[in-house]
Amino acid sequence: MIGKDLKGIFFLLFFSLIIAFSYNHFSACGLALSGQWEPSKGVVSARSKTDDVNAAIQINNPEIIQQIVQDKKRIVLDVRPRELYNQGHLPGALSFPLMEFDQKIIQILDSISRQSALLVYCSSVKCTDSHIVAQRLISLGYDNVKVFSGGFGQWQEKGYEIEKYEG
Amino acid sequence: MKLKNMKDKYSPVLCFIIKLVLGITFIYASYHKIADPAGFARILYGYAIFPNFSINFLAITVPFLELVAGFSLIFGLFSRSALLIINALLMGFIFLIGFNLIRGHEFDCGCFVFSSHDKIVSNIFLLIRDILFLLSGIYLLRKIKAQ
Repeated sequence: MIGKDLKGIFFLLFFSLIIAFSYNHFSACGLALSGQWEPSKGVVSARSKTDDVNAAIQINNPEIIQQIVQDKKRIVLDVRPRELYNQGHLPGALSFPLMEFDQKIIQILDSISRQSALLVYCSSVKCTDSHIVAQRLISLGYDNVKVFSGGFGQWQEKGYEIEKYEG
Repeated sequence: MKLKNMKDKYSPVLCFIIKLVLGITFIYASYHKIADPAGFARILYGYAIFPNFSINFLAITVPFLELVAGFSLIFGLFSRSALLIINALLMGFIFLIGFNLIRGHEFDCGCFVFSSHDKIVSNIFLLIRDILFLLSGIYLLRKIKAQ
């Protein structure tokens, strides 16, 4: 009985592995065999075929971000929901929630030139909203877009200055 | 004597219901994970238990293991083996949910649909549900052996 059970388990495991990897290979949403799960290397991601995360545009060092914010080298966009922005955001950041992208982009297109240097952030390395917005901006012709991978969470952890909405 | 007769009479019906419930639950649970493997991988990462190198492997394989075991149990192909896999998976889920509840780590169980804000209460409910499923699975395993 035990031998038969074991044989059955091996068969089912083997069969599952075959269809799992075959499906993963041909599926439009398949994953790479290893993901990026190291927070120090940027936004974590499973590296799927439809992944929004682009490691090439990330800035992982919060000290560099602090310098950028201090020197106003880039226009900073906070893509978190407005309530979170109101509670606290990076100094000088503009609220640009992902959910309101279509409405907000009209204002942005009018007021910010395509050559402007932009910096986008969301909550932490666990959120991909910043990359989704960055990709959309790039597709609209903004070719100087960077993402602060640690987001507001890391900024807060570091104890850097936080601005609150005085609406 | 009468009780024993009743047990013998209703036992196959109970076994059939448990098979169906466990099988369908596992097939249904696999559906969302197969449809969004990246989302499931994030859920696994959120548990903060698995080594980073294993997350994608688990996200690719576990949903299909659930699917195959669920179908296998319902259609009676290697049903004892399928049940052993299901029970092992349930033990794993119970450990994962229980461990994170005890250490107060916020997480999304990702059992059925991916939600961004799971509450502790719903995770306790899931833990109890999985324990009941495991007890049913153990009962069924003993019955299949007896047949």
